Amino acid sequence: MRPIVEVEALCVQALAKRGKDRIPLIQDVSFQIHPGEMLALVGESGSGKSVTAGAVLGLLPNALHIGSGSLRFQGEDVLAWTEKKRRGLLGSQIGCVFQDYQGSFTPFRKIGKQLTEMIRTHHSLSKATAKDLALEWLDQVALPAERVYDSYPFQLSGGQRQRTALAAAMMLRPALVVADEPTTALDVLTGERVLDLLAELQMQVGCAVLLISHDLRHVMKRADTVAVMKDGRIVECEATEMIRRRASHPYTQTLLHARPLLTDLDAGLDWENEEVVSSERHEGVDGVESLADREPAV
Amino acid sequence: MLRLITARLQQLVFVLFLLSAFTFLLMKLAPGDPVLTLLKIDQIAATQAEEAALRSQLGFDRPIHEQYASWIWGVLHLDLGDSYLAKRPVLEMLLERVPGTFQLALGGIAVMMAIAVPLGLLAAKYPGRLPDHLSRLLALIGSSVPSFWMGLLLIYAFSYKLNWLPTMGTGSFRHMILPSLTLGLAIAAVYARLLRAGLLDSLSQEYIRAARARGIAEWRVLTLHALRAALLPVVTVFGMSVGHLLAGTVVVEILFSWPGLGSLAVEAIFARDYPVIQGYVLLIGVFVVAVNLLVDLSYGWLDPRIRYEKGEAA
Repeated sequence: MRPIVEVEALCVQALAKRGKDRIPLIQDVSFQIHPGEMLALVGESGSGKSVTAGAVLGLLPNALHIGSGSLRFQGEDVLAWTEKKRRGLLGSQIGCVFQDYQGSFTPFRKIGKQLTEMIRTHHSLSKATAKDLALEWLDQVALPAERVYDSYPFQLSGGQRQRTALAAAMMLRPALVVADEPTTALDVLTGERVLDLLAELQMQVGCAVLLISHDLRHVMKRADTVAVMKDGRIVECEATEMIRRRASHPYTQTLLHARPLLTDLDAGLDWENEEVVSSERHEGVDGVESLADREPAV
Repeated sequence: MLRLITARLQQLVFVLFLLSAFTFLLMKLAPGDPVLTLLKIDQIAATQAEEAALRSQLGFDRPIHEQYASWIWGVLHLDLGDSYLAKRPVLEMLLERVPGTFQLALGGIAVMMAIAVPLGLLAAKYPGRLPDHLSRLLALIGSSVPSFWMGLLLIYAFSYKLNWLPTMGTGSFRHMILPSLTLGLAIAAVYARLLRAGLLDSLSQEYIRAARARGIAEWRVLTLHALRAALLPVVTVFGMSVGHLLAGTVVVEILFSWPGLGSLAVEAIFARDYPVIQGYVLLIGVFVVAVNLLVDLSYGWLDPRIRYEKGEAA
């Protein structure tokens, strides 16, 4: 089966303000995602995972550019495409969910308007048909469809907004969905449910998912493959089972140990305990981050 | 909403009271005497007795607070007094001129928007590039060239040299073009810069990235998603500078012999026609407060968050 995304030896550089210095942000990043597969890209902040997502989407900030490597989407070399042509993929072929639920929709426009705008951008449907499709998907993500359709984004809770964002990402049945830390801004319980929903919708649509996270625990439950990123490089990329059993890279092991005991994962936890555990885990991750910050960059 | 309007009305009363008291005082302090001006018009030497008679007829022999009180009493009954010169009710004279000034102000605002919105959008879309530099240059010219000179240049170019448009007067759409341009050009540049700053700010928001990630066309992102937030500071500044805009019409009205409130006020000032000046100041005060009420209401339309927070609080 042909992969949906093939990233090979990708390097992204930042242009320094003065002179011709180029600061490498990610180097030699390679991975593939097949239809129906969920690949989790895990790493601490600043490891380059969001830059990688930006490169896959073609939405890098102006100061960043792709130095070398190749990026194929459904077999096509999209780096050779014009910006406009690549933009055409977004929304219809590539869906997207971002970290900050506050910024997932324009605050001045009603949800319904923004959903139908998106549908009608990619498909020539009548307003009524577009509305039906939007309502159907709001229903899919277990929201009160009519009410959400007529709401402004600020009238919804964080979880509701991320659900709506998921509906928007999946609505047009894309081949790939990029979820950039979709649960970081949410509380643990809501975050868990959003990830469950993501996995559920993925099954239904059959798309590939690139899930970006700093949270190994979150992703090991659901991802098929885990890629661990550190200082702009992928240090380990393995099937989740392999990572769980014997992570080879010392950094992955550090991340694994930054989580609570492995037995917690497999045991059927009740939610109360989980919340307690996860607050401990956050302290652990923070500790790792501060350690890593002291190391000189490669 | 209702609460906002009531608050504004109270504010209106307060503003108008202060404004009228202040102009009343200023005019008494200013040099010149309406009685002498009036007597001179008749071209005959007036006696002391005639002068005194006129003075008491106009109420000038009474103390100033009594004069003010009787004027205010009239205002409360919608009677702004009679013009010394024209011997007609001031309110009638002012209302005659309102459409002229409105036309001119709307024309100026139309020109301003036609220039400022595209220029601001272009400058924000290409910051640091040619459209941005061009709009900065235009902003500099627009805010430093005095409008009477701009008007003269326009008359020279389009009326005298090219003979396309009438130099002065009123009556047709063609008459409106040059005065509107003169008024609009002077303010457009500032708003273009303001819009650019607002747009750059809103374009860097997360929701713009989200809209782009959904594949929404760039022009829709700019005009439907980013512009809304960028309009808030523009509208605010507009509300605050509407008095400035109306003052700007005075120069333009004189330059193009445009029959508006401004030219009426200038004639009244030269003739020391106090009731007309008082009435003019009062009317402009009403306009400024009314426009600011509209600006306040427009916030709720521009940003529904404001509307709903207000709704919850009430």
